[in-house]
Amino acid sequence: MTDHADHAGHADHAGRDGDSDVLLEVRGLEVHFPIKSGLIFDRTVGHVRAVDGVDLRIRRGETYGLVGESGCGKSTLGKAILKLEPPTAGSVVFDGTDIASLEGEELRRARKRFQMVFQDPLSSLDPRQTVESILIEGMRAHGLDTDKATTQARLRELMSAVGLPPAGLSKYPHEFSGGQRQRIGIARALSVGPDLIVADEPVSALDVSIQAQVINLLQDLQDELGLTYLVVAHDLAVVRHISDRIGVMYLGGLVEESGAAELYDLPLHPYTRALMSAVPVPDPLVEDSREQILLSGDLPSPANPPTGCRFHTRCPWRQETRCDTERPELRVVEVEGASPGHRVACHFAEEIASGAIQPHDVEPVLVAEGFSGPVTGPAPPPPDAYSTP
Amino acid sequence: MTQHQTIRSSPRSTEPLLSVRDLRVTFQRRDERAFKAVDGVSFDVRPGQTVGLVGESGCGKSVTSLAIMGLLPKRGNTVEGEAVFDGDDLLSLSPSQMRDRRGADIAMIFQDPLSSLNPVITIGRQVTEVMERHQGLSRKEATPKAAELLDRVGIPDPKARLANYPHQLSGGMRQRALIAMALACSPRLLIADEPTTALDVTIQAQILALLKELVVDTGTALVMITHDLGVVAGLCDEVNVLYGGKIVERGGRHGLFRQPRHPYTVGLLDSIPRLDAPRGEKLNPVPGSVADNLPWDSACAFAPRCSHRVDVCTREMPRWDGDDVVGFRCFNPVGGPR
Amino acid sequence: MSDPIDPAVAEDVRRPSYGQRRRDRIDALAQAGAVDDTPGVSLIRGAWLRLRRNPVFLTGAAITVCFVVLAIIAPWIAPWDVTARPLLDEVRPQTNPVPGPQPGHPLGGDDRGRDLLSRLIVGSRQTLIVGVFATLFGLIGGVILGTIAGAIGGAVDSLVMRIVDVMLSIPSLLLAFTVASLARSPSQWTLIVSIAIIQIPIFARLLRGSMLAQRSSDHVLAARSLGVKKRAIVFRHMLPNSIGPVIVQATLSLAVAIIDAAALSFLGLGNPDQRQPEWGQMLGLAQRYISEAPHLAFYPAGCIIVVALGFTLMGESLREALDPKTRR
Repeated sequence: MTDHADHAGHADHAGRDGDSDVLLEVRGLEVHFPIKSGLIFDRTVGHVRAVDGVDLRIRRGETYGLVGESGCGKSTLGKAILKLEPPTAGSVVFDGTDIASLEGEELRRARKRFQMVFQDPLSSLDPRQTVESILIEGMRAHGLDTDKATTQARLRELMSAVGLPPAGLSKYPHEFSGGQRQRIGIARALSVGPDLIVADEPVSALDVSIQAQVINLLQDLQDELGLTYLVVAHDLAVVRHISDRIGVMYLGGLVEESGAAELYDLPLHPYTRALMSAVPVPDPLVEDSREQILLSGDLPSPANPPTGCRFHTRCPWRQETRCDTERPELRVVEVEGASPGHRVACHFAEEIASGAIQPHDVEPVLVAEGFSGPVTGPAPPPPDAYSTP
Repeated sequence: MTQHQTIRSSPRSTEPLLSVRDLRVTFQRRDERAFKAVDGVSFDVRPGQTVGLVGESGCGKSVTSLAIMGLLPKRGNTVEGEAVFDGDDLLSLSPSQMRDRRGADIAMIFQDPLSSLNPVITIGRQVTEVMERHQGLSRKEATPKAAELLDRVGIPDPKARLANYPHQLSGGMRQRALIAMALACSPRLLIADEPTTALDVTIQAQILALLKELVVDTGTALVMITHDLGVVAGLCDEVNVLYGGKIVERGGRHGLFRQPRHPYTVGLLDSIPRLDAPRGEKLNPVPGSVADNLPWDSACAFAPRCSHRVDVCTREMPRWDGDDVVGFRCFNPVGGPR
Repeated sequence: MSDPIDPAVAEDVRRPSYGQRRRDRIDALAQAGAVDDTPGVSLIRGAWLRLRRNPVFLTGAAITVCFVVLAIIAPWIAPWDVTARPLLDEVRPQTNPVPGPQPGHPLGGDDRGRDLLSRLIVGSRQTLIVGVFATLFGLIGGVILGTIAGAIGGAVDSLVMRIVDVMLSIPSLLLAFTVASLARSPSQWTLIVSIAIIQIPIFARLLRGSMLAQRSSDHVLAARSLGVKKRAIVFRHMLPNSIGPVIVQATLSLAVAIIDAAALSFLGLGNPDQRQPEWGQMLGLAQRYISEAPHLAFYPAGCIIVVALGFTLMGESLREALDPKTRR
């Protein structure tokens, strides 16, 4: 499934002809939320650029992992792909139709083919519905509940597919444990027989021992039903485990995209490196010996993103030229060992990979919630500068 | 800065700073059966040591810390056992004696920095308040110290930040401010309850590095409460794994991670995908959920979910097999009996 | 409940008989955890089970039921006809304007020689009718406006809410007073309509607020992503999940409506037929003799307070029972 040899950057936007296997193609997707203010009449005083120009393609049967920290726009991107959030610009071509331009009844019918699994399994289930009516609802909306016997058989099939006993059908969501609720959420997504499932943080609300159950379930269902997944998560280890390809997001844009194994072996973007090094590993030996790249400061506000490369304010490899003026495009780089499907949005990816550019200290810029822009004043020596073992 | 320095384990001979013995917390709500949130937990914390309490939601780890701090509401809760800190049993102190201790000798850091800070008071005022309360400083004397503290925890431009309100800072900065407050009176024991769970990984790495550095520099003992085994692996000298209100396994961090003995510990380690492990292998989850637990008094609570279960597990409560340094509570441990 | 059993478990040395039942239960645990076979308990039912044991609710319900029953059977249990004036002879405008208690008249009479107890009992009818209908109409109006605002949103929402804001900005009794005085001939229906009108904005605002919260909730998003039709989302997901607080508010408003009705009757805006008793109107008439015969005011006032308390207790415990925080 991890054959990404033909995915040579976003230059080949000529069409889907060369790659009939692509199920979903996102081009130049933008979601901007207006910031409104005003006494009587609201005026738009700015925009939060939650998603700011994303291109990606997902092949049939593939799992694409979207990873990033809170506020990077990954959830909004997931919702915009399903048109649960109206995109400001760009197209989302799903199996030949542009979802982004669909409206009304057409869109409603099309929803049968792409479904969503939510983060919080309790709040995403209507507390007043029994599991049975939760599962029937989608089938009814698409006219799939033709006769009673078939519907009942289908309900049982769904329940056993997600590993729940049929006795659960008459129960209410609050009577299940967290992991079981997430199984109900998955069964609901499956009820209309979709091709694509967008899973938004599918395990982050669950206990550690339960997470693995749900991850395995998602994988089993994929093998069985040939589903395509877009998994949105902040946990790099989880994403790496289930994904074939991974896109790393920072402040509304993709900064790196590659096969799952290669991303870990050969992270090219400085942010990916930092993210990778920050994930704690349950092994004291690894923890003691690893090289940690501590980023200074916080994520800048997406309402007022930095100029040039979005990451330049925190980047230990930042250069005097280009970084703060020119926004890097996602491109294929000439780096030893990098496959052609490995794309990075960094001007200096080759130099960083070869070691020609060395990291340096970064003064943390305070990012405050209440005001925007850097805070002036004498800054103390950086507390978390980059360090080597 | 020393990111990777292993925290020196203090010699075993040192007297424990905090010694928790047979702590039990029972919740009794109107018209309901009593629920044992903490069911006989004992552990020691020595000066300069970092002790981890690990477990999933509902295992009693947070309740343990709240009980030690005397922060559980009186109504509906019974706390038994003892928690000897520096010769005094914290659980039998009067509320006012406890208030003198809290913040001065023992400080706590919570999971959600926004809700643990007062939203209508400036950061500076909240930090100085602690010093005024416990060290008898005037506000004038305390202010420069507060700025120093904020600087110490890595908040840029500390003097200006003193005048900020919590909502004006980002999540990571708020957690730093909270740590500064906890450090205001140089406590000897710091209890951190999921201090990084609400934060992003890159920010988590910053906060963990800061905590590590503080422990080394100040010699403060740290009790780290978390669900994340990765966090524990990097930070704690001693690890206690909790399940259903009891400690089911304890060990030094190297020993516990290299050779876990309790099936639950093994299950936890097996069920998380590791960033450094080869891909493509199936995870090995722990089946069921905590809702399936058996009561401890006549069985092993974990038995219904345990792949190592033998007959006796559902008939008797397993005894603690070990001492106050390493041990486990299991009839059929992974790797055979001791 | 019959997922394959873990091989490690199956390999165990089995000792039959001893603890067999427990073992069976454990072995039956599916990979996902146990789900027992009992039928599900909905939140409403769960709330009811909690309410049934809540002494506060029981007290409130007992008071309410007492008064409702009283109101229904009032004409049959009232010892005297409310328009008859059996104590007319006792009324001495100069020395004793209000006849005191005497055999056959445990509470005495009013200034026109009518039996006070009978008037109190029958008065409960008018008062409850006005309270219940005023709240009901207010609720219906509020739910319609709130649903329109919450479900459609945008400009419609703004328009509806501005109207509601204007209504809320006028002191409620003053508004009711104005509406009631517009009527050509005051009757109990003018009372009901004017009190209903002042209740509409309260319900509308409350419902719209919780509808908006529902609109952005995950389960509504999930229904949208399933492709459920908009109408079904509004009426099957948003409205049923938002109506709880509104129902609670209605029980609390009932108490207020009764007091408002009393106030309007007191001011003479109720039923002009003074022969038909109503607590507020009785209270109004009692003020003339407040120094000589305070009990004339005390009885109807006490009844109003107790009825209002009954509804308030019920409403408060209902709110508590439906509170999501008490869900387990």
